[in-house]
Amino acid sequence: MKAEVLKGHLDALLLATLEAGPRHGYAIIDAVRTGSAGRIDLPTGTVYPALHRLERAGLVTSAWSTDQGRPRRTYRLTAAGRRALGTQRSAWKEFAAAVTAVLEPSQATPQPASP
Amino acid sequence: MTPVPAPSAGPEAAADRLLEGWLAAVAARLPGLARTRQAVVAELRDGLLEGLRTHQARGLAPIPAAQATLAEFGDAGQVAYAFAPELVAAHARRVAFTLARTGPLLGALWIAALVASPLSKPLLANAAAPWHWPWSAGPWVGLPLVGLVLLIGIPATVLAVAATGRPSRWLPMGPRVAPTAAAAAAIAGMTVDLTLLGMLGAQALIEPSQLAWVLSIPAAVASLARLALAGRAARRCLASRATLA
Repeated sequence: MKAEVLKGHLDALLLATLEAGPRHGYAIIDAVRTGSAGRIDLPTGTVYPALHRLERAGLVTSAWSTDQGRPRRTYRLTAAGRRALGTQRSAWKEFAAAVTAVLEPSQATPQPASP
Repeated sequence: MTPVPAPSAGPEAAADRLLEGWLAAVAARLPGLARTRQAVVAELRDGLLEGLRTHQARGLAPIPAAQATLAEFGDAGQVAYAFAPELVAAHARRVAFTLARTGPLLGALWIAALVASPLSKPLLANAAAPWHWPWSAGPWVGLPLVGLVLLIGIPATVLAVAATGRPSRWLPMGPRVAPTAAAAAAIAGMTVDLTLLGMLGAQALIEPSQLAWVLSIPAAVASLARLALAGRAARRCLASRATLA
């Protein structure tokens, strides 16, 4: 899936991977890749700065630890991040339903006929 | 003669060199504070090594695993470019917070120096409020300018803090806003310091006995120190702002 298709949904994807628990940067990227069965392969260079931006906005927090002798930064969802994820999830469902209704009218929920 | 260590050899070392070369290329292009840049490099190094480990676990040899990891991470220039707004914002935030912390201290020092000086005695004896004092007379004519500059500097500081913190969630601003605001705040601080030092110097030349030197000297030293720091901060903010497209 091309990066430009994901534009605008990157924050939601990153927040969603942190819903289950804290992860470090590469694990977040791997979680998106695995969760999408390899269809979403985020350009790593954009993921790390996006995580920093989410932290600045108070949607995630980070903490440094040591793993195998090297410093590791782990991200965790904040309460505000959880709320933002809920909002973005609802917005996505609405958007996806609207696009599906147009692209595949046969699958759309039947609308009441006008009198 | 001290023995020169032999260069690391083997595929593991070659893979490490590939990753470290990429990291060095990113580090060379990152703007902002050294400490923040080092943190970014440390985080990327952990990601690279994790990627290397993952690819090796899937059966790749060290060098192809390093190449696959670097392909995932992308071009070093693009990664540095993507990080630039965050690093510039972090620097702008630090400048704004430093100015916000030092400003009241400097203000208190200068007010104490002014109030303790013989100059203010007749004014205090008349119990007139400071805003009714005859500022337009003598070397203190610059004080209204200080007030005017503060009217620019304080909102600029607040804007720099807001643009780089949680309010950015609701007030999306371009990446150049924060360094511009921080540079404006630093320049405002410099203008205040220069004005106060100029007024002190003028008073010292005209009538030095009218100064409370015990308090004026610390105020002047503090302003000189902040002048130097604010000048450096303003230059760096403007330089880092220029790195943003």
